[in-house]
Amino acid sequence: MNLSPRQHWIGVLARAQLSELQPHEAALKDVEYQNIRAPEIGMTLVRGRMGGNGAPFNLGEMSVTRCVVRLADGRTGYSYLAGRDKVHAELAALADAHLQGAHPSIWLSDLITALANAQAQRRARKEADTAATKVEFFTLVRGEN
Amino acid sequence: MSTHLLQPAFVDPVLDAQRGFRAALKALAEPGLIQHLPSAPRLDGLAPATYALCLALLDVDTPLWLAPSFDTPLIRANLAFHCGCPLTDKREDAVFALLGEQDLLDLGGFDHGNDRYPDQSCTLLVQLTDLEAGRGLLWRGPGIQAQRRVHVPVPQAFWHERQRREAFPRGLDVLFAAGHHLIGLPRSSRIAEEHA
Repeated sequence: MNLSPRQHWIGVLARAQLSELQPHEAALKDVEYQNIRAPEIGMTLVRGRMGGNGAPFNLGEMSVTRCVVRLADGRTGYSYLAGRDKVHAELAALADAHLQGAHPSIWLSDLITALANAQAQRRARKEADTAATKVEFFTLVRGEN
Repeated sequence: MSTHLLQPAFVDPVLDAQRGFRAALKALAEPGLIQHLPSAPRLDGLAPATYALCLALLDVDTPLWLAPSFDTPLIRANLAFHCGCPLTDKREDAVFALLGEQDLLDLGGFDHGNDRYPDQSCTLLVQLTDLEAGRGLLWRGPGIQAQRRVHVPVPQAFWHERQRREAFPRGLDVLFAAGHHLIGLPRSSRIAEEHA
């Protein structure tokens, strides 16, 4: 799947932890901005496909928080994230707006790369932990003889 | 998408939408009485009351027909963002229609509902400059004890046009909005000239 750079950073911001974003709060809020859509909590329906390619079915509902901000220069930042964290949603939307600016590289290197690395590490650790519990079943004697 | 045109809408989305809905409900329950919407947001080209009605009533299931005078990029962008309502060019498909005073001379094409489902008719949101500057007419019907004198400034042709399309229970419900105020005109109201 090909992701555009913006899709990548919006995903990274959504998966980040609030404690990782909070050190950047002062820098993110160091602009004039207004909430076009103040952080709000809602529900969304999650659909799935059996085996990844069957007929779609309704898996269940999950809570989602979303936010849209606009900076004084007209850039708008969007965020959609799982859970009920309004502070996180606002910071993620602000970060999206900053990343669309003329110099996204500073934000990319400071914020997105660090967040993405941390997420990759967490994922690798979890996969390693899970892999240790993997059980392979095999049959010694089937008792047919 | 023209994101630079977006503006904030309701300050408190839940309560303000409920206030807007309540005002529309009261306006249609008591035809001719002026209802107030003090906390409505502003948008260039739309009166606060009109915009509040749009935000409260429109969503993804309600196709909206926009009169040419309201069809600006600003209004399109903000309705699409905050209401998510589809816009339609065909009057027959519209569940709501946004009109100005000059559009009242021709109400052709809007859905009047059918005898089994009269509720499926199109509701007209009409933006005026004032609600009390017109000629006094006497309104009668459900929601009015005897009769009520209402001064909505609309052209005479509108009343003929409305009467021509009246086939109760089918018909058109109208909400007149100006500034922070609105007046409801359900299909059941009967209008008589004032004999002064």
